[in-house]
Amino acid sequence: MKTLALFVVVITGAMLIYAGQDLPAFGDINSPSYQAPMTQYFIENSLEESGVTNIVTALLANYRSYDTLGETAVIFTAGMAVMLLLRRRET
Amino acid sequence: MSGILDIVYAEYNYWIYVTLMMIGFYAMIAKKNLIKKVIGANIFQTAIFLFYVSLADVTGGTAPILVGGHGAEHAADVIYTNPVPHCLILTAIVVSVSTTAVALALIIRIYQEYGSIEEDVILAARRELKPEFSEHARQKGVAEVGRQ
Repeated sequence: MKTLALFVVVITGAMLIYAGQDLPAFGDINSPSYQAPMTQYFIENSLEESGVTNIVTALLANYRSYDTLGETAVIFTAGMAVMLLLRRRET
Repeated sequence: MSGILDIVYAEYNYWIYVTLMMIGFYAMIAKKNLIKKVIGANIFQTAIFLFYVSLADVTGGTAPILVGGHGAEHAADVIYTNPVPHCLILTAIVVSVSTTAVALALIIRIYQEYGSIEEDVILAARRELKPEFSEHARQKGVAEVGRQ
């Protein structure tokens, strides 16, 4: 069983490293994700549009505020699940 | 030779994350202890976080907080790292914490029910369906006997 698990893990890791050759180099300023118009737009315009100097905060709480709202729904659901699982039962 | 070294230097970070991810994957598959499986899942998730944050990195870039703050003039030549993956990973960390909390709560319930967090013990108990493996079922049975 452990040998089979090790085999699966090694094969998956080799496939991931093989696929990772196409990724941009570490710290490459010409990587597609950094040169994308969206990223440059956020860096240039987030202060005027949201008034926050931290761009990550502007993204999280302004541009993606509905996503953050859904995130609180996730935390709420997890908290309710933990409460329902761990509350003391009347036997 | 230098070509190989260049490739290694450009992409060694991905190899580190693949290694970390496979350590977590192995723990999820091979370990019998449920807590260790959860730890493996957490290592797996952390590898993905590091992968995304390293995709956001730019050589010589500073954190994506505007230099000069609310001042009128901003230094135009400052390079910022990519803020979009950072934001994505903040969301992913929250989901990771939530799933870990639910998984640990489920493991506590499993332990209360079967008296063990070892997978093979639980499976054997499920297979035999003996009442003494189930604290809850035994208490319920005793209560019913007492009522009769």
